[in-house]
Amino acid sequence: MKQESLIKIENVWKKYDMGSEEPLVVLKEINLDIKSQEFIAITGPSGSGKSTMVNIVGALDKPSWGSVCLNNQNISEMSESSLAFLRGKTIGFIFQQFNLLPNLTALQNVMLPMEISDEPEYIAKKRAKELLESLGLGERLNHKPNQLSGGQQQRVAIARALSNDPQVILADEPTGNLDSTTGKFVMDFLGRLHSQGKTIILITHDIELVKYAKRIIHIKDGRIEKETTNTKWRN
Amino acid sequence: MKFKKCFQLALNIFIHSKLRSWLTIIGIVIGIAAVVSIISISLGAQQQLEERLGSLGADVLTVTKGMQRAMGGGFGGGEGGPGEGRGSSISSTTESKNLTARDVTVIKATPNVKLVMGQISGTADIAYSGKTVKDAKVNGVDISIWKDITTDTIDSGRFLTKGDSYSVVIGKNVAGTVFGKEVSLNNKILIAGKSFNVVGILEEGSSYYIPIDIARAILEDVGEKDFNSISVKIADVDISNQTVSDITKKLMLSRGILQEKNKDFTVSNPEAMQETMKETMSTMTLFLGAIAAISLIVGAIGIANTMFTSVLEKTKEIGIMKAIGTRNIDIMIIFLLNSGLIGLIGGIGGVILGIIASSSINSLAGTSSGMARGMFSSSAVNIQLIVGALLFSMIIGMIAGAIPAYRASKLNPVDALRYE
Repeated sequence: MKQESLIKIENVWKKYDMGSEEPLVVLKEINLDIKSQEFIAITGPSGSGKSTMVNIVGALDKPSWGSVCLNNQNISEMSESSLAFLRGKTIGFIFQQFNLLPNLTALQNVMLPMEISDEPEYIAKKRAKELLESLGLGERLNHKPNQLSGGQQQRVAIARALSNDPQVILADEPTGNLDSTTGKFVMDFLGRLHSQGKTIILITHDIELVKYAKRIIHIKDGRIEKETTNTKWRN
Repeated sequence: MKFKKCFQLALNIFIHSKLRSWLTIIGIVIGIAAVVSIISISLGAQQQLEERLGSLGADVLTVTKGMQRAMGGGFGGGEGGPGEGRGSSISSTTESKNLTARDVTVIKATPNVKLVMGQISGTADIAYSGKTVKDAKVNGVDISIWKDITTDTIDSGRFLTKGDSYSVVIGKNVAGTVFGKEVSLNNKILIAGKSFNVVGILEEGSSYYIPIDIARAILEDVGEKDFNSISVKIADVDISNQTVSDITKKLMLSRGILQEKNKDFTVSNPEAMQETMKETMSTMTLFLGAIAAISLIVGAIGIANTMFTSVLEKTKEIGIMKAIGTRNIDIMIIFLLNSGLIGLIGGIGGVILGIIASSSINSLAGTSSGMARGMFSSSAVNIQLIVGALLFSMIIGMIAGAIPAYRASKLNPVDALRYE
């Protein structure tokens, strides 16, 4: 059965105005169709435009030209509020720096996206507890980020990304700040999420991590240089 | 996001705020404390003023000799009889003829006038129980009219009536403390060497009232026919200003005065005086309040400064919140509530400090004398003032935080996430 398109990027350009100087063109003529339940890796050297791709794909930023459709909705035509709502419901972010709110506990951090989406507090609390316990953090519910190790913080971030049961998990260098054991745990967990039907978009420059993905997009100088299929991807 | 959650997040930011926020709060505490203490003391003084002026009687006008140009003195004496107390608070600058029986007749013929009573006052030595009070003020009143025109009330005994000669009515203060021994009804006191029977004690005041004929006979500094003041009871208080004008015109005519500037008497209207004093008090309150408000403005600028810094510090967190779905309006509400909380907490501190400050000023005024004792010995801290001050401080906080909150809400999530 043909999988439906989840994120469709057509002829996207992104440029930044540099005042009196020539505008800086970061993305050029990007065309990408990400299907539902795919595990896709976007890779490339530093400065290639990976981060800008994350922002565009994650609906955090709008393109200068071209169109980006998320669930058949063109994000360029959406208001800030609608975009925030769509982002909260559809995409779960996992960042290299974990990006947890420092003054909230692990439980509160995981509950937050659900509360933003107006989920009742008791439901949010129950689900957040379940997620944290499933990630082995049942004993760390009331710890603040500075009381957790890097690996624990990233697991809280994963739980937060999953809290609204999003269709897409966007992981930007998720193992960049972790030791190899914890990094492997995170990647295995992403693999499990994929097998459960989630669409995973992994942004990395680490060639070792791309083996988890089925499709690999190589970016260089703001263009898609090549697209390959990882035949060694593990089921 | 639900409002409750926005409030929880705002509270979380506040609880984890740094020393800077608490210093900002101190600024608001000082501003609100200044406003609360000034308003409460002013309200207390206004209440005192109203009570004291109210006792003058709105329907009794007083005619005194001389052109009164300036008002001063205090209302702390608590006198209150017609023609007394008021004169002492007003300085006369024009030398003039005394008020006469002819003036009384002229006033009687004026429309809206119900009763007219000429009154004299002089000084005499008064003795009781072996103790003498030198140069005490003694009033001579028309015993046939006095009880109908006076605004004083009897505490015990009675007013002077027809048939009284060497009888005296005294103020409560005289009865209680002046002679070191309490003066009771039917006690004898010596006024200018003559024995007087105490027939009545007034509810307040420190005056002595005796029949006018006897006063003319025993007091040295009063004329044989003249009056120091004339009390005029009017029928309709609503047209008191018109009556004042009518009496003035008639007296000018009768006394041969052609121009207003040459007028040698004054007709005082307690109602108008009360209004003038209230207006003066309100203006003073407004002026002092405005000075206090300057410190609040400084406090508000402090909040704005703190909020700008807070938004800057929390840029990355704002970016994270936006990434996980928080709308711009929610970010704005969170930061507005945060600045409102800073204002509110400052307001609570300010109200407490303000009440303590006004109470301290009351205590200090209570131990002083004269005007301060009369005017500032009570403050009026009511629930409206407290709620008003708290709301005001919260609104000030929110206004000060509006621009920083708007800027926070408009942050680009990509730039905010990148901020270190």
